[in-house]
Amino acid sequence: MTVEYPFEAEPEDAELKTVGTPVVRIDGLDKISGAAQFVDDIDFGPGLLHAAIVESPYAYAKIISIDTSKAEAAKGVVRVATGKDFPYKFGMYMEDRYIFAQDYVRFVGEQVAGVVARSHREAVQAAKLIEVEYEVLTPLLDPRGAVAEGADLIHPDLDNYTHVPWFFPKADTNIAHWRKIRKGDTEKAFAEADYVLEDTYFVPRYAHCAIEPHVTVSKFDYSDRLTVWTASQSPHTQRHLFAEALAPLGLTHKDVRVITPYVGGGFGGKAGVSMEIMGAALATLVKGRPVKLRWTREQEFYNTYQRQGVVAELKVGVMNDGEITAVEHKLYWDAGAYVEYGANVVNAAGLSATGPYRVPNITNDSLCIYTNLPPGGPYRGFGYSEFHFGLESHMDRIAMAIGMDAVEFRRKNAIVEGDELAYGASMNPSGMLEAIDKTAAAINWGVEEESDNPNTVIGKGMALFWKAPAMPPNSSSASFLKFNEDGSINITVSGMELGQGYLTVMAQIAGEVLSVPVGKIRVETPDTDRNPYEWQTVASHVTWSSGLAVEKAAIEARGKIFDVIHQVYGYEDDSLYLEDEAVKCRTDASFSKPLREFVIDGIQTEDGTWRGGPIVASGKFMPEFTNANSDPETGQGGHPNVHYTVGATGVVLEIDKETGRIWVRKAALAVDAGRAINPDLVNGQITGGLVQGLATVLYEDMRFDEGGKMLNPTFTDYKIPTAFDIPDEIIPIIVEVPQPDGPFGARGVGEHTMIGAAPVIANAVYNALGVRIKSMPITQEKVAMAIIEKSEECAE
Amino acid sequence: MVIANEFDYRRPVTLAEATEILANHSGSVRILAGGTDLVAWLRDDAIAPDLVVDIKKVPGLHDLKLDGDTLRIGALVTFTDLIESDVVKEHAPLLAEMSETVASQGIRNRATMVGNICSAVPSCDAGPVLLAYDTTVHVTGPDGDRALDINDWFLGLRQTARTDDEVVTHLTIALRPHGGVYVKLMRYGGEDLAQAAVGIVAYADQEYRVAFGAVAPTPIRSARIEDALRGRPLDDALIAETVAMVRDEISPITDIRASAEYRTRMTEVMLKRGLVAATERLAGTGPAYGTRLI
Repeated sequence: MTVEYPFEAEPEDAELKTVGTPVVRIDGLDKISGAAQFVDDIDFGPGLLHAAIVESPYAYAKIISIDTSKAEAAKGVVRVATGKDFPYKFGMYMEDRYIFAQDYVRFVGEQVAGVVARSHREAVQAAKLIEVEYEVLTPLLDPRGAVAEGADLIHPDLDNYTHVPWFFPKADTNIAHWRKIRKGDTEKAFAEADYVLEDTYFVPRYAHCAIEPHVTVSKFDYSDRLTVWTASQSPHTQRHLFAEALAPLGLTHKDVRVITPYVGGGFGGKAGVSMEIMGAALATLVKGRPVKLRWTREQEFYNTYQRQGVVAELKVGVMNDGEITAVEHKLYWDAGAYVEYGANVVNAAGLSATGPYRVPNITNDSLCIYTNLPPGGPYRGFGYSEFHFGLESHMDRIAMAIGMDAVEFRRKNAIVEGDELAYGASMNPSGMLEAIDKTAAAINWGVEEESDNPNTVIGKGMALFWKAPAMPPNSSSASFLKFNEDGSINITVSGMELGQGYLTVMAQIAGEVLSVPVGKIRVETPDTDRNPYEWQTVASHVTWSSGLAVEKAAIEARGKIFDVIHQVYGYEDDSLYLEDEAVKCRTDASFSKPLREFVIDGIQTEDGTWRGGPIVASGKFMPEFTNANSDPETGQGGHPNVHYTVGATGVVLEIDKETGRIWVRKAALAVDAGRAINPDLVNGQITGGLVQGLATVLYEDMRFDEGGKMLNPTFTDYKIPTAFDIPDEIIPIIVEVPQPDGPFGARGVGEHTMIGAAPVIANAVYNALGVRIKSMPITQEKVAMAIIEKSEECAE
Repeated sequence: MVIANEFDYRRPVTLAEATEILANHSGSVRILAGGTDLVAWLRDDAIAPDLVVDIKKVPGLHDLKLDGDTLRIGALVTFTDLIESDVVKEHAPLLAEMSETVASQGIRNRATMVGNICSAVPSCDAGPVLLAYDTTVHVTGPDGDRALDINDWFLGLRQTARTDDEVVTHLTIALRPHGGVYVKLMRYGGEDLAQAAVGIVAYADQEYRVAFGAVAPTPIRSARIEDALRGRPLDDALIAETVAMVRDEISPITDIRASAEYRTRMTEVMLKRGLVAATERLAGTGPAYGTRLI
């Protein structure tokens, strides 16, 4: 089955002036000059109130009583709130959360009460005076334990929860969603396979570590309008969830306004709604006064979304010639106490857990399991980083077992255009083979290297990756575009500039269509009152989806421009074109009408009257070819993913044989961007994503004690790389096999660049030392102890 | 950031005023110099003093100079001061090598080396090096001045020989020609607390000082290893002999930063590489100071 792409993009052969060039980012001056404002920078005046939150010290407990009297009497306190004030559920894909805990707390750090005071300090002091009595229960911390027979039910009412139609919760269990794929006959294929490898891989939880913590300022004014300034990736989705959750207070969508200035990093952690709902709710209790709620770094770790941990049981069958015949992948996700967002991570992984390979027989089970750890949620890679660790480790081991070169093995099985996907639809155009070849060449794959240092050894590794945007089938983007007197342009969209360069890319797309240089285009961050709809800035989809909406707006504006020229001068629309900010005509070389002369004031005709007027346009995009209506038992029948982006990662690393210390000497990453609208920004994504991925495999992981309390919610013990820890050399490789429905052929690359990092290190460590590490992270301690263990085994 | 607990704050401008404030205060008190530990502990409610005495305005505590063969390091000398000092570079580059491993640039600009040994956490970087240098710690209090041998300084976890009403004024180190090394086990290349550390000073005639950090409740010296090294040429056999002693000399813990076994194994590696480097540096060869050995 091939996809019909209803939208006709610009012709491929058009000569491009702006798209494809490394334009300097348009938010650069804002940021280097300090003009850029973030939520915490905005001055709300002396009336600003501050909130502090009382958190559960227990991972699982019944709330017996809450005594707020001392806090209410404390100096500076304006209002105290508990779950009783807001008995409303909310959630992105499944309504399983409350604004403040009701009868139970389900993770350490869960919000039990909130204090609003005149100063932050008074709020924090008063919060300490709130006395909560708990009946402590035994927490479930291990996902496989939580699905064992007789396990306590963390959400006994699961069967009654509202959720999207593509989730399949199992009543009377802790399984909030179970994504199944059944394709072909895996049992038969394993029986007939020449070689079968089965093993289990472990991936812990991770934190986003954006430099800016979550912060929100909310004001509920005397006209009952709620305005919320948030550091968010999802202004419209936040507005929607605020309006839904607070509907009992009489709020409607038009009464809720979300303003999102610049954001200091998101990585998925600022998608959806997490702590912001508390700020919005508390504001409704102190009418007329803005309330600020800002997370500390510790709270940033333990009470926002965390990347979920996973236990991956993987079985792969191959023939002696290297053909993969069957994959059975069972993913037990530690989804945490609430899965309203995280269950979709589980869903996305389940649909794609074969990795970027052509596999005829598939059994995927991706289980979203409630545990008493903090809520899991979106994180760059959205489940793919997690399962690729085991999968790509496994592929190396299989190649070695059947005596095949690991790159040749991957090349042979790599999925290409037209191959059937796990859920039955067909693969989009992709430059996978080119990505493999260029990455392998960049690290001199196949050439063994020796270290000059007697204490160290050198290893090389390769890993492939793929990922599709995980979105509701009808998620959409929109844009408004208007010209100004001087021919400059203002564009409003509601995607978020998260540092990735989104605003610049939108300007490039519009500038290309309208022949206007990027320096004359302003694209602003969202305000839901003014800017048109965008689902969220997640899923690496905004270049593609919002880019299409902007391209359509620009095309509409161009049509209006040509109409005016046609009315006044009589040239046919199809003879007109734009060049260097002027309308020109293919049939009259002498004709040139600069845009600035008429895009606001119009053109005066011979009789003295005027034609035209302000050029304004809009565009929208919804992927009308997708649907999520697949068979729950087989996953077949739908078209849940719009397309996949693919690529390859390779590293050369050096390891100290005594200490396990790893230096990444060279890292190459090729990603098929379809079309790199801005190659510098794509290279930035490659560098940033790779480093973030290397961090998850080399340094980071969340640790919890047996009570479910996070032990390392600070950068003292949760290590993210510094300038001393980046690879000596990073080789970004851009592959461009156009996406037929992409703006100028583009598809997303933002998340993908970190997906291959974990397995590529595992594979290179094996290559260097002959030691296979099957749990993340691969710290120097783990490597050192594995070397010691191996040498002592050999000595015995 | 908010410090929820309230406390009084005093900023004396003479040493006498500082000691008087400390002597006359009956409640819990903390001295503020660089504040890089203190403020973090206040924020975390790990401590709740009712008085903080800021000694930054006390004159005479900034000295970093050589008097004859004696290096004097004032209580307010920061790690950055040590790194940038020509005197240190020429006469005690080991102090700079150690200082460069402390935290990050911003912290080093404020944090004092004296504060580091007053906080006295097991992983304090200054500990092993000052032990290996046989440093003298000078304090003053209501009963006058005292000069303490650094070997008597660390009493336990975050406990020192300084009494609450005393202020450390400076350290002195008696210098003679030496080669030194500070090797620190970290989880990555960026700022980190030592998971284990080795400080070594090598003198002429095969005389060594060997100290360890983060592998016991306090930084420790190993007289046994020093005795084994004394007067014997450093060769592979001697290195192996001393490395074999490490396991009995230290008592590391297992926590989220590292396991006891890993700390032990790495202390062995660091001692091995450190002894070689210190000996070579004494001879004027070996890796430049500041080179990471692990």
